[in-house]
Amino acid sequence: MHSVGICGSDVHYWQNGRIGDFVLRKPMVLGHEAAGTVVKLGSAVKHLQIGDRVAIEPGVPRDVDEFFKNGRYNLSPSIFFCATPPDDGNLSRYYTHNANFCYKLPDNLTFEEGALIEPLSVGIHACRRAGVTLGSVVLVCGAGTIGLVSLLVAKAMGASKVVITDLSQERLSLAKQLGADFILTITKEDSPQTLAKSVSDLLGTPPGMTIECTGVESSIQTAIYATQSGGVVVLVGLGKEMATIPLVNAAVREVDIRGVFRYCNTWPMAIAMLSSGKLNVKPLVTHRFPLEQALQAFETTKQGSGIKVMLKCDKNDQNP
Amino acid sequence: MDEDNLAVVLHAQKDLRLEQRPVPEPGPNDVLLRMHSVGICGSDVHYWQNGRIGDFVLRKPMVLGHEAAGTVVKLGSAVKHLQIGDRVAIEPGVPRDVDEFFKNGRYNLSPSIFFCATPPDDGNLSRYYTHNANFCYKLPDNLTFEEGALIEPLSVGIHACRRAGVTLGSVVLVCGAGTIGLVSLLVAKAMGASKVVITDLSQERLSLAKQLGADFILTITKEDSPQTLAKSVSDLLGTPPGMTIECTGVESSIQTAIYATQSGGVVVLVGLGKEMATIPLVNAAVREVDIRGVFRYCNTWPMAIAMLSSGKLNVKPLVTHRFPLEQALQAFETTKQGSGIKVMLKCDKNDQNP
Repeated sequence: MHSVGICGSDVHYWQNGRIGDFVLRKPMVLGHEAAGTVVKLGSAVKHLQIGDRVAIEPGVPRDVDEFFKNGRYNLSPSIFFCATPPDDGNLSRYYTHNANFCYKLPDNLTFEEGALIEPLSVGIHACRRAGVTLGSVVLVCGAGTIGLVSLLVAKAMGASKVVITDLSQERLSLAKQLGADFILTITKEDSPQTLAKSVSDLLGTPPGMTIECTGVESSIQTAIYATQSGGVVVLVGLGKEMATIPLVNAAVREVDIRGVFRYCNTWPMAIAMLSSGKLNVKPLVTHRFPLEQALQAFETTKQGSGIKVMLKCDKNDQNP
Repeated sequence: MDEDNLAVVLHAQKDLRLEQRPVPEPGPNDVLLRMHSVGICGSDVHYWQNGRIGDFVLRKPMVLGHEAAGTVVKLGSAVKHLQIGDRVAIEPGVPRDVDEFFKNGRYNLSPSIFFCATPPDDGNLSRYYTHNANFCYKLPDNLTFEEGALIEPLSVGIHACRRAGVTLGSVVLVCGAGTIGLVSLLVAKAMGASKVVITDLSQERLSLAKQLGADFILTITKEDSPQTLAKSVSDLLGTPPGMTIECTGVESSIQTAIYATQSGGVVVLVGLGKEMATIPLVNAAVREVDIRGVFRYCNTWPMAIAMLSSGKLNVKPLVTHRFPLEQALQAFETTKQGSGIKVMLKCDKNDQNP
């Protein structure tokens, strides 16, 4: 292994021992945002060579069920997933993985870009589920890693205008650098309906789709009020089990509400876009730690400073 | 023609009157219709009892009725595709502006759309009524006027099933066996659904559902927990449904719909309930169960006419009561009491047939 990013879910398992129905019952290796080098091949592996630099797709379906056959393998109930109990992750010096879910990196991509494909995939899947396309007008709620990758992908997919909101002006400055057409600093006291109007005024029109990346109930309400009739609200952020939302408003305006569960079929697209230079995720890495300093790295991530913290797992190569 | 244009007019909340109105003249793109059969919808009753639905507020007297069929008696100067004597079904929603919604085929969402019996637009519960000819569809000889009028509620079912993605082999849950649940059931089966289960509090409504083709019926009570019900549905069907069409608007039923639906599936909300609803949103989100509402319908009349005319859909059993137009107040009282399914008002003094 070479570079592994720390995800909010890794921190959540560390602090809470569970996420929803996924409960830690035995020791588990963390990490699922990773890239490394092939050093040994299984006997049936044909498409990779020793020395190939690869990005790892952490979700590997175990059964060829109807979800898998229909291309939505992310929903397959028996899927293996790095660092989701009871499956081990890849935050280690060595790790084995199904070769069909390891993707060779072009020479012009770093290992860190390879590792960033995992969070980027969340953005790709969200934008696909939202129907973002050429000319789209998009609202992104939240400017953390997920909001930022959603912004990057939306612009790459041809969105004409993307507005991104957050409580933090600092995060929004990075969003502006990464291509946001508009940024909007909000406060916890803002009413969802008022915010929805501010968004529409900024954009000149209600957004056709909203990608909600915070999971905060009031933000989900804002997303619904803001979105154009006939549009889509994609829920990436996860919040309370039971949420109170303006459901009739969404229903009578045919604003669809679509959640996402991880992603599927994103690595090839991500590699192509990164390699062509159309997407640049390098600014997302704000901290680096050698693997031996993992505990410090986790503390840093937990404090919420910066965006993506990378762990460097190769003693002989600490480069990006 | 006759100057008697008796109409059912809502003057204010709980103030419904039968009164004469002038016979209207058709504009260049309109036709004048001699109305024959008009069904009463729950929304008509709601305006009568409450004076409003959401942001649509009655501010001046309004003719009710939007589920209708009649005969063309006069043509606007620019009308080409209809003749005097043609029997037509009326699509009540007529867009006024060629906006982006209209151009993209989703004219039901056009904000300035005209819609019969939604304030301030008059409905068609009268003896004579003019309507844009492009939204009047000629009925084949083998369809009755009442079938023509039933195309409107049937359209809600068609639009709901389309939004749900019902197709050949689908496994479907329908919540609620009132008119809307029943038309959703009929359309789902016609679209090729392999199994449809329908739920309701009333065993009586469910018997009609069984006659209309439901593969499974499930009587529920208000005390049933959504998660338990979801499991019962799945057990009955042998698999979770791929899509659920929620026709009650009741919060606990919406929760059941979410819990019951297969991952990657769709819950379509037809029934409207409280403005703010508390639902298991994370459960829907992490299983990619999409939540899609419907607002009326679009592009449904041609499909409905084809299916009814071919005999693949039979909506005749939905009509349980008939009243002549002069007895409209009684008809509304009957509808309000909730007995039966569809109450028809017969507007043609000389033809009270179906």
